[in-house]
Amino acid sequence: MDQNNSLPPYAQGLASPQGAMTPGIPIFSPMMPYGTGLTPQPIQNTNSLSLLEEQQRQQQQQQAQQQAQQQQQQAVAAVQQSTSQQATPGASGQTPQLFHSQTLTTAPLPGTTPLYPSPMTPMTPITPATPASESSGIVPQLQNIVSTVNLGCKLDLKTIALRARNAEYNPKRFAAVIMRIREPRTTALIFSSGKMVCTGAKSEEQSRLAARKYARVVQKLGFPAKFLDFKIQNMVGSCDVKFPIRLEGLVLTHQQFSSYEPELFPGLIYRMIKPRIVLLIFVSGKVVLTGAKVRAEIYEAFENIYPILKGFRKT
Amino acid sequence: MAYQLYRNTTLGNSLQESLDELIQSQQITPQLALQVLRQFDKAINSALAQRVRNRVNFRGSLNTYRFCDNVWTFVLNDVEFREVTELIKVDKVKIVACDGKNTGSNTTE
Repeated sequence: MDQNNSLPPYAQGLASPQGAMTPGIPIFSPMMPYGTGLTPQPIQNTNSLSLLEEQQRQQQQQQAQQQAQQQQQQAVAAVQQSTSQQATPGASGQTPQLFHSQTLTTAPLPGTTPLYPSPMTPMTPITPATPASESSGIVPQLQNIVSTVNLGCKLDLKTIALRARNAEYNPKRFAAVIMRIREPRTTALIFSSGKMVCTGAKSEEQSRLAARKYARVVQKLGFPAKFLDFKIQNMVGSCDVKFPIRLEGLVLTHQQFSSYEPELFPGLIYRMIKPRIVLLIFVSGKVVLTGAKVRAEIYEAFENIYPILKGFRKT
Repeated sequence: MAYQLYRNTTLGNSLQESLDELIQSQQITPQLALQVLRQFDKAINSALAQRVRNRVNFRGSLNTYRFCDNVWTFVLNDVEFREVTELIKVDKVKIVACDGKNTGSNTTE
């Protein structure tokens, strides 16, 4: 990534030698929903437990993700600048700090093919969000990923517990070996059927890499371990809207979605229908989002809740 | 049955070596040696539980851990053993620990 520092951020995608993003293809334009480009590429299911190719793929996707995130913020800023030109100056009192001089107001985004012949950034209402609302500028951070994988063979848990490092096995209490690794810092539950649950990773690629490491440990102990049906089951994210929230008001107006029982739990539990995400909203303004299968659902859920939360800001 | 944990200690190993010598020179039977070792297990378990009162603190970084058959095995690095009187530093220590509260269903006192 060092060689890209000399270029302005928006041109980095064009200069990447790995070609993770083919120049000219509009991965991001203001019109496209947030999800695209951030979800990992379709995974070729290699059964070989080689960590080298796993890490290479991980690096490529990290670069693609970082460039995609930068382009997302450029897209967000460009949309906001166009809206603010149309809206009254008073409405943009809460604009986040994404406005920098490097974003262009009139030219199309660099890196996109000129699909629209006019030189102005078009604001035709194809945007999924309401055109008048601004996006939050806050990106939820992923805190935990839970995934499962099938090693494809029966396992002798006692052998694994006796020979592997950092393993616990107490069959009276729980019928699985609990194993941990330090990098990525994760915990795995390994069952005698050969199925495994991997928790604690901070990103999709880390979860997959960790699962592969566990599978390799099991393989080195002599079991014919494979890596079948890796699937991310749950993703948890958190963020801070930076203002206090009137939870009582929120539960009154959104009672079909919310449940708020301060004597039981201090957070409001908001069950969003689309996307199907559960949000824990706290008086401090901190928000926890969980139940996602893909990263985009977390981002989409937060973008959906943010204007609602702004409406219940405590003064 | 008391834990056979303490057979692989300096004291336990010396006992086992002595018993092996006696067996070699035909002075005792192997069956008797086993009985001696079982009595050693009982004695050392009860002595450590009843007659030892001092306290040692130790602190180090955890390298590996294992829990299987209700036995914890730890390997620590750069450990400091601290007693009121003195301090001992070690690069590596292996700790094997059995449950103190529940010695098994057929414990003999």
